Amino acid sequence: MTAIALPRLQTPAHAGSLRASLRLFWYGGRISYTALFNWARPSIYIPTLIGAPTFQILFFATLGNYATGLDPAYFAIGNSVQVSAMSGIYGMTMAIANERWFGTLHAVLATPANRAALFGGRFVPFIANGLIVSIYGFTISWIFLGVRIAPGSLGVVALGLVVTVFSCSAIGALQGSLSLRLRDGLFGANMLVFVFLLFCGVNIPLETLPGWMQAIGNALPFTHGLQAVRQAIGGAGLGEVGGLIAIELGIGVAYALAAFALFRRLETSSRRNATLDVR
Amino acid sequence: MNGARGSLRLVWTVWVFTMKAFMASEFFLLTAVLQPVIFASIAFFLFRIGGDAAGEHTLLYAALGTGMMGVWSTTLFGAGGAIAWQRWEGTLELLVAAPRRYDLVLAGQTLGASTFGFYSVIATLAWGMVLFGMPLRASFPVLLPVALLAAIIALGAMGMLIATSFVLYRHANALSNLLEYPVWIVTGLVVPLATLPAWIGPISWLLAPTWGMEAIRGATIGSAPPWLPIVLCMVLAVVYWLLARVVLVYVLNKARRDATLSLA
Repeated sequence: MTAIALPRLQTPAHAGSLRASLRLFWYGGRISYTALFNWARPSIYIPTLIGAPTFQILFFATLGNYATGLDPAYFAIGNSVQVSAMSGIYGMTMAIANERWFGTLHAVLATPANRAALFGGRFVPFIANGLIVSIYGFTISWIFLGVRIAPGSLGVVALGLVVTVFSCSAIGALQGSLSLRLRDGLFGANMLVFVFLLFCGVNIPLETLPGWMQAIGNALPFTHGLQAVRQAIGGAGLGEVGGLIAIELGIGVAYALAAFALFRRLETSSRRNATLDVR
Repeated sequence: MNGARGSLRLVWTVWVFTMKAFMASEFFLLTAVLQPVIFASIAFFLFRIGGDAAGEHTLLYAALGTGMMGVWSTTLFGAGGAIAWQRWEGTLELLVAAPRRYDLVLAGQTLGASTFGFYSVIATLAWGMVLFGMPLRASFPVLLPVALLAAIIALGAMGMLIATSFVLYRHANALSNLLEYPVWIVTGLVVPLATLPAWIGPISWLLAPTWGMEAIRGATIGSAPPWLPIVLCMVLAVVYWLLARVVLVYVLNKARRDATLSLA
C-alpha cells in the first residue's frame, strides 16, 4: 500500500482570527455581490439601476411641480437620494436571502466563520453601488432639473449621502434576514421602497404629513439623512446638519444590529428545528 | 362557427386562469392594489399642498390617474413576463405545439393581466373616498362600463405586443422595470399632456393608456361623451393585435428553426 503524496495546502488563517475575519469581510462581501445580486449583469443593471431611477426622478419632478408649484429641484433631490434604495434594499435582501434560494445557505452556515464579518462584509458593495446610483441621480438632476450644489457644500452633502445609503442598506439587511423565513422576500423589499416614497419626505414635505405618518417617517432611514442633504445643498454646514446625520447614523446602526441579531436568531432556530432550507 | 366558439372559449379559459393565478400572487397584489394606493396617497397629498391644481375634480382626477398607473404596471409585468414564465415552467413547448393557435393563449393571458390591473382603479377610488373624502360621481355613467371595456381590450392588446417583443430579450423583467415610469409620464396619467413638452404628444397618441385614461376620465369627469377615445382604444387594439401576430410568427419560427424555444 502506497501513500499518495498530496500537494501541501497553504494553511488558511484560523477561522476565528482577525486576519480571517477581515479577509471574509472583504472577499466575502465582494463574492456575495457578484454571486447573489441578480441585477449585477449589465443587461439587468442598466435598465433597472440606471434607466428606472432616471425616469423616477423625472416623473416625480414633473408631478410634484404640477401639483404643488414647488421647484422641480425639490423633488429631484429627494428622489436622487431615494433611488439608492434600489441597491440598498433589493441588493441586501438578495445578498442574504438568495443564499437560501440558491441552496448555499447550509454550506455557509456550516463553516466556523465569524458571523459578524460574514454579515457585515455584505454591506460594502451595496453601499458603494447605492452611492453610484445616487450620484448618477444627482447628475441627471443637475443636467435636467436645475439642482445645484455649491462646491463648498459637497463634503457635507457627500457625508449625508454615505450615511443615508448605509442606513438604507441596514434596513435592507433586516429585510434580508426576515426573508430567510419568508416565501417571497422581495415583496417586503418592494413595500419598503414605496413606503420611503410616502413617509420619508422624499416627495411630500414631512411637516405637511399627519402626525402619525411623521412618527413612522422619523423611525425610518432616509428621513433625517435626506433632511441633512437638502439643508447642506441649501448651504448649511456640518455644524447645522451634524445632528441630523448623527441621528441617521444611529438609526442605521440600530437597524444593522437588529438585522444581525435576527440573522443569528433565525440561524440558531433553523438548526434546532432542521428548517434551514425549508421554503 | 365551431372554430370561432372554440377560440373564444380558449381565450376565456386562459383569461380566467390568469386572473386566478394573479390573485394568488403576492407580487401582483402589490402591483395592482398596494402600489397604486401608495401612489394615490402621494398624489392626494401633493395636490392638497398645491391647493387642488387640477380643479374641482382634483381628487377624482388623481385617483383615476394613479389607478391607471397600476393598470399599466400590472399589464406591463404580467404581459412582459408571460412567455418567460411559460419557459421557466416548461409549458411553452406544449402550448406552441398544441393544435390551438398560440396567439389565442397569449391573448387570454394579456387580457387577464390588464383586467386584473383594474383592481388598481377600484383600490384608488375606494382609498380616496374612505381616507380623503373624495366624492364619487360620473358625468356619463352609462358610458363608463364601455370606456372601461375599451381600455381593458386596448391594454390587453398592447400587452400582447409587449409579450411578443420582450421574448427577444432575456431579462424581460428588467425591461418592465425600465418602462413603468416613462409610460406614466408620456401618457399624461397624473400630469396633463398640455403641461409637458410638445414632442411628447405624438408619442402619447400611440399608447393605449393615453386613450384608455381619456375614455375613463371623459365618462367620469368629462363634459362631453368620450366617444373618440373609446373608438381610438379599439383602433389601437386592432393595430397592436396585428403587429403582435407578425412579431409572434417571426419569433416562433426563429425559435423553432434555431431550437431555442425553451432557452431563456
